[in-house]
Amino acid sequence: MTMDMSRYLGLFLTEASEHLEGLGRDLVQLEREGAPAVVDSMFRHAHSVKGMASSMGFESIAVVAHRVEDLVDAIRQDPAKLERSLVDLLLSATDVMLAQVRAVSESKPPDDASSLLGQLAEKVSAVTGRTPGATRVINQAKASPPAAPAPVTAAARVSPQAVEAPPPPASEPAAEARVAAVVPPSEEGAAKTAKRWAVRLRIAPTCQTPGVRAFLVHKRLTGLGTLHGLQPPLEDLKAGRIPEGNIQVELETAEGEEAIRKALRNVAEVELVSLKPAVVAPPPAPVPAASGLVPAEAPRASNSADATARTVRVRTELLDYFLDTVGELLLATARLRELGKVLPENSRPPIEEGVYRLHTLVKDLHDKVMSARMTPLSLITDRLPRAARDIARRREREVDLVITGAEIELDRAILDELADPLLHLLRNCIDHGLESPEDRVAAGKGARGRVLVSVRRARDRVVVEMEDDGRGMNAAKLKTAAVARGALSAEAAARMTDREAFMLACLPGVSTAQDVSEISGRGVGMDAVKRVVENVGGTLEIESELGRGTRFTLRLPLTVAVVHLLLVAVGDEVFGLPIAKVVGAMEADSERLDRSREMPLLPHGQGLLPVYGLDELTGVQAPPRKGVRPFVVMEGDAGRVALAVDGLVGQEEAVLKPLSRPLDLLPGLSGVTILGSGRPVFILDVPRLLSA
Amino acid sequence: MVVSAALSGPFAEAELHMAKRVLVVDDAIFMRNMIKDIFASGGFEVVGEAANGLEAVEKYKDLKPDLTTMDIVMPFKSGIEATREIIKYDANAVVIMCSALGQESLVMEAIEAGASDFIVKPFRAEDVLAVVKKVLGEG
Repeated sequence: MTMDMSRYLGLFLTEASEHLEGLGRDLVQLEREGAPAVVDSMFRHAHSVKGMASSMGFESIAVVAHRVEDLVDAIRQDPAKLERSLVDLLLSATDVMLAQVRAVSESKPPDDASSLLGQLAEKVSAVTGRTPGATRVINQAKASPPAAPAPVTAAARVSPQAVEAPPPPASEPAAEARVAAVVPPSEEGAAKTAKRWAVRLRIAPTCQTPGVRAFLVHKRLTGLGTLHGLQPPLEDLKAGRIPEGNIQVELETAEGEEAIRKALRNVAEVELVSLKPAVVAPPPAPVPAASGLVPAEAPRASNSADATARTVRVRTELLDYFLDTVGELLLATARLRELGKVLPENSRPPIEEGVYRLHTLVKDLHDKVMSARMTPLSLITDRLPRAARDIARRREREVDLVITGAEIELDRAILDELADPLLHLLRNCIDHGLESPEDRVAAGKGARGRVLVSVRRARDRVVVEMEDDGRGMNAAKLKTAAVARGALSAEAAARMTDREAFMLACLPGVSTAQDVSEISGRGVGMDAVKRVVENVGGTLEIESELGRGTRFTLRLPLTVAVVHLLLVAVGDEVFGLPIAKVVGAMEADSERLDRSREMPLLPHGQGLLPVYGLDELTGVQAPPRKGVRPFVVMEGDAGRVALAVDGLVGQEEAVLKPLSRPLDLLPGLSGVTILGSGRPVFILDVPRLLSA
Repeated sequence: MVVSAALSGPFAEAELHMAKRVLVVDDAIFMRNMIKDIFASGGFEVVGEAANGLEAVEKYKDLKPDLTTMDIVMPFKSGIEATREIIKYDANAVVIMCSALGQESLVMEAIEAGASDFIVKPFRAEDVLAVVKKVLGEG
């Protein structure tokens, strides 16, 4: 009887892709520093893909994976066999497998990759001196361990960890259902003096170097006894890949409970979540994942560290749908509140109370959905090392790419938008920023260039910086190019600071690159980068010093979906201004303002701000006003400005909806939202409005 | 300095006990001064300084401090090498590595060599003192 494997397809697609991406990363790292741990990790990736693909019956993927595994194993036996051409071949094999997996996801048969297979087989023979062995594809007869999560556990608990944890290569057939009988360790004859303890720890989320922290804890624990079933595995721990900071492990030790607590108490930034006598596992096998040991009653929501064992994979479209629906709920609630206001006095309180409660619940739900969408930046930065390698190789540059802070999280919607801009910036850094090794040496620098990508949280923003130590940008050349293209007058160029001049690189068509390479230098990239960053509510800054290097700084909001608005009236219209950009509001007599060349100036703080009429900017008809009127002071691109409005309507927390065609073509509108009254309101992008 | 101003209060109690003796090892005077200020604000006594690994080992043997902060990248002898030698000389030595982001693997090497803990630059006084107090069992 054949088993229906189709239900594992989704899991196969995600996991195989993850392993292949991991393999690609490892390969790039391997070339830099051929550490045995990297080779082991590569072996595990290839091994897992082979196992999954053969279980699914995708022979062509399984065979490629098998050859890769052979080659990696050969490197493992003899690191001297590692050479550039081999890495190239393995990288192409990885790309082919990714393409095959993608094909499967589009319900196409995976490409048979025959020419690659020929090369791989040849290489295997050359490297190992043996003809490559046949790949066993379990054609849907029985499931091999990695692909069979659900049938084993009876409960409706979905535990990707159990599936994810690649079994150590040696212990393949370890998929028997493990019965979690909680037996006090002393009653089991297995160990005489040594007891097993289930230890759960959490690294503080504020910890800057979770990997090292975790390693330190690991060291302390190994000082007490033997560790089993460490989750995440040591390599992941050291690399700081610790989901939510949760670590679990079983410690076999003769020391008592107090000694364990004491050893852990002395480590900063680490919380001992629980310490309990552990289940005694069958003697030799290292327990792959503690998730098999979670007692059956675990599914109840609790704040314990069980979190690691209870993550569920959710399709991103579903999350988008949740967010959309919760947004609609927020709007509907606001509408209900408005309706309540017109009810007779005596029936109002119960309605208002109900609406208030509803709003609290919906708001809470909204926050939760938003947090579920938070995704670490590593999702996109993980691709950079490979890209850096490829670009550098093509351009005969040498580059060290250092990425820090990639564990920091952002809304997935922003992350998706950011993938291409980051790649483009990286190309810019390597392509234009870094000099050739000879030029670098001549300039007194090291032959290898360095690109540093660092991510950090700064209050409610995430700051992504990418900097190179290359030749830097030439402000004068940029100005000349911009003037030549007619984007700027010569006088304006002369007044410009260097910092402003660097931003000229973001004007369409302005690029100082003399050669138009296939990679970048077409001048179409930087303006797209700036636009994308600003569209998600972020800012882009460029700093550069000739001969020293260039730094791009992206400041991004954590989420895009909810904006706090100041609602202002102009004539009969109401517009929303993002409060993040509002400095303040004040009243003044518009006829008594100072003027400079017809431009009214509003006194604000120590200085004077240029005043713009919002009616003129938006083209809304408004009756002329005399006397005192409100002004909103906002941050513009070139400093603060004051907007003359007819009234301040109020503040609103709005769910931003993107504009669809043709409205998105209008400069100065960044979105639309619907007020509680049901009235749609446009949200203004004031800097764009001023420059339009 | 800002660091000390922020800290005089909450850690003043530490002065009631015998002040712990600290050896500060770093090749940059700036860093040594900053670390010294942090320790002073926490009620510790900085008994010595060293600017490289060689000096660090000598000063350690000479002063027998309760605690040593150790920079990693230093001339003549690295902080990791110095830590290894100090631990060899005194298995109970408490050595705290001063690291920067991106030096994770070096710190792990130092931990293998016997370092008790680590702090990450740029230092925030309260973080440094929290780590130190934990390590000394006072936290």
